Amino acid sequence: MSARVKAVVALGAFVAATVGASCGGGITSPRLFSSDWEDDGGASIERVRVQLAGAKPARGADVVVGVAGNADKLVGIPLTSGPKWTFAHPLDARPVIAGGVVVGSGGGEVFALDATTGRKLWARDTGGLQLRGAGDDGAVTVITFTRTGGNGAVLLAVTRDGKIVRQIETDKQLGRPAVLQGLAFVPWGHQYISVIDLSSGNEQARVTFRETVSRAWTLNEALYFGEVGFFRFDDRIKGASKSLASHAGLPVRELPGGPLLMSSGGEREHPTTSARDRIRLYARPTGPQEALAIDGGIFYATYFRLVMGLDAQKAQIRWVHTHAANFLGGGAAAGALVACDDQGKVTILDEASGAVAGDRDLGEPLKSCVVQADGFQAPRVASTEKLADQLEKAVTSPDADLSTAQRILLKDLSVMSDESATRVLVHLASDPRTPPDIKKDARVGLALRRNGATYMLDALALRYDYLKDVLVTPPVAPIAKALAAMKEARGAGPLAMHLLDPADDEEDIREVAAAMRVLATPAELPALEEFFAMYRGNAQGSDMEAAVVDVAKAIWALGDKKARALVEAAAKDSLTVPAVRSQLEVLVAPPPTVGDAGAARD
Amino acid sequence: MDIVRVWGEIHPMRLRVVLVSLLGLSLPFAAVVSFAHAAPPPPPKPPAAPVAPASPTLPKETIARLKSGDAAQIKAALDDVRMAGKGGASAAAAIAELLHRGLDPALTQSAIESLGDTESEAGSDALAWYTHHRNVAFRRAAVTALAKTKGAVAVKALRAAMSDGDAQVRGFAATALGALKAKDAVGDLFTALEHKVNEAAVSIGQLCSGADCERLANKLGAVPFDVVVGGLDQILFRGGTDVNDDTKVKIIGRIRELGTGEANKFLVSAQKKWPEAWSKRVKQAIDQAVLATSGSAGAGGAP
Repeated sequence: MSARVKAVVALGAFVAATVGASCGGGITSPRLFSSDWEDDGGASIERVRVQLAGAKPARGADVVVGVAGNADKLVGIPLTSGPKWTFAHPLDARPVIAGGVVVGSGGGEVFALDATTGRKLWARDTGGLQLRGAGDDGAVTVITFTRTGGNGAVLLAVTRDGKIVRQIETDKQLGRPAVLQGLAFVPWGHQYISVIDLSSGNEQARVTFRETVSRAWTLNEALYFGEVGFFRFDDRIKGASKSLASHAGLPVRELPGGPLLMSSGGEREHPTTSARDRIRLYARPTGPQEALAIDGGIFYATYFRLVMGLDAQKAQIRWVHTHAANFLGGGAAAGALVACDDQGKVTILDEASGAVAGDRDLGEPLKSCVVQADGFQAPRVASTEKLADQLEKAVTSPDADLSTAQRILLKDLSVMSDESATRVLVHLASDPRTPPDIKKDARVGLALRRNGATYMLDALALRYDYLKDVLVTPPVAPIAKALAAMKEARGAGPLAMHLLDPADDEEDIREVAAAMRVLATPAELPALEEFFAMYRGNAQGSDMEAAVVDVAKAIWALGDKKARALVEAAAKDSLTVPAVRSQLEVLVAPPPTVGDAGAARD
Repeated sequence: MDIVRVWGEIHPMRLRVVLVSLLGLSLPFAAVVSFAHAAPPPPPKPPAAPVAPASPTLPKETIARLKSGDAAQIKAALDDVRMAGKGGASAAAAIAELLHRGLDPALTQSAIESLGDTESEAGSDALAWYTHHRNVAFRRAAVTALAKTKGAVAVKALRAAMSDGDAQVRGFAATALGALKAKDAVGDLFTALEHKVNEAAVSIGQLCSGADCERLANKLGAVPFDVVVGGLDQILFRGGTDVNDDTKVKIIGRIRELGTGEANKFLVSAQKKWPEAWSKRVKQAIDQAVLATSGSAGAGGAP
């Protein structure tokens, strides 16, 4: 007897001792989940597809189920209509919503509830098996378990009356299964879907994917597989091993916390959430009537109290919702994200605008929650808030947990083409309440702006004034950079005023002086001369020295004879700061003639 | 001693003494300082015209040395101007020109101070520049100097300087505006007082007219007593007709209403130094207020 067969026999004995007392199922085929299988080029899966042609999975229940209390109570509420329900039971794993049932485990048993009402359908002893996933086709619920310690898995097929019609044990780890017309679609090995005929226990087909696959589920009256992205069971499934199956994935972009679209279907999900549950991606594949893509062209990222709506093609941010509580879980519905928070509130966010399109209340704080939104269609709600304002709210939300997300969102804000982004960046860079890291990033972003000059000019109009309670200075340096880059003539006067403002810091002065070389007109000459005179012998530090030299260059470029004489005199005056003087000497030196240049080369 | 450089270490009321000596202010103002230190007040004297000290003559070559371009010669010339005081006014334009062209730190400081010593309005424009220099020592020196060079330019720069980020610059500017009789600045001075620029109280007391004087009195209770009475004392002891007896009586009444020991002490002080020849009506109001507050906790009583 081979080692593999021994293992199977051992597992079979274990299951018999735990759940097998009322089992009526057969024994696992020795070829099932075999690792010496050779890819059949999609032939077997295509046969299954043809066999199932026309068969549509039933719509699943639209429901939110939360784990409450001390992980000893389930609370559910339908998304459309119907009352909230509760079911008290110890829980050792996150419940799974599959079709019309909720499968839970704990206290040594696995149980199924009607997802809409919470009514208990059946319960079976598990003998320590750990729930992994479940699928349901309205008649049979297929459940995968892992043995404690992770040594092998068990698959049970249970009818509505609690009768076990198939029991399969294996030394492989199984993912989350789906069921359709008596066929179980079981992910395993991170790349396979095996199709098991529940009536015979035989593996009818297998398909290999070239991307991690650990989950199978029904949605949109279709069958999907995936983990990193979405594959659909359709007429292209036979090409899966050659990466020709229908596939939709999410674009890569920087997101806080490195969120995942789906956790591995073979991993245990605890009844209480971890940071991973608060930092998630959500997306919905399109239905079978159209080419597989991300539904609505949008995916969602949660990060504690934030939800971001992101373009599924370009990964650009479309909206941000800042919530009052941390999100624990959710699901992408048609036209919306349904997300539940740790206070038991369920919020429905419009996919296009991020506006709240509806809400539900589970009535108590939650440890975790799961959402299934299959046929649910959220009402469309337009937002009254501009994206820049949404970003500002998110970025300035006083919550240390959000700092990583806030810095990333600030980058999004910085590259927005809308002028309102400039306004928000000016505000963030000016507001003394802005956290230092955010302020620093806002200044960087502001310097790179190439529109919104009016907001910058408005900011420059504010200067430190003790008696007017203006005790902060505007972000002069980045504004000077941006205005100079835009060649914004209106900036010259206000910037010249800041050149002479002792409240501005030296970095500001340096950048204003640099901007003066681009923007200064004869109207700014008096301020330039005043600055030059006051600091050419008094400049301290490299910033101020550079500023004096830039102002001298600005004066020189304006060509005024009297002003140039001031610079020329300073270039010869021992009272001028040496580092400045040496550069002034170069500035005022007559340009070399062609002959001189030749002599120098010689 | 370089007065400006040590100001940062001096108690605010001693600052007032220094500034009084610098500005050559008249007797009533000096009497306020005495009250604030709880020292016995000097016997009342009739106001006397200040006698300007004789200024040394400015050496002939001073202007030439100021224009020499040589640091040592400029420094020596600036020292001569300081020694000459107002007598150095003829050098004011040359010093202003130096500041307009720029100097190194030591000469800048010296030029600002020397220009102030000339008391020449011709220096105000150059000094105004340096009220917004990044070097706070220059700003303090410039504000102090502007109090002496006077003129519309000085007043404008000083009003702006009350918004400075440095408390000493604000305080010097507020004091200087009082010394310059800048009545138009009373509104700004009230704003400054409301922003804890305590020096503004005395200046308001020097400049206010009836309603503004009463407005200062109404600050009692909102602004520390010793700050407000600095200004009220100025009002009570202002001669001439710009503050009438009605206003003074109202102010005394306002102080009397406080009924505190410190109010009594102030009133007793005012009672002692009230000139014989001045208004009997106001004197009577002071006397009555002293009696009314003599029973207050901490009061000095009635003489």
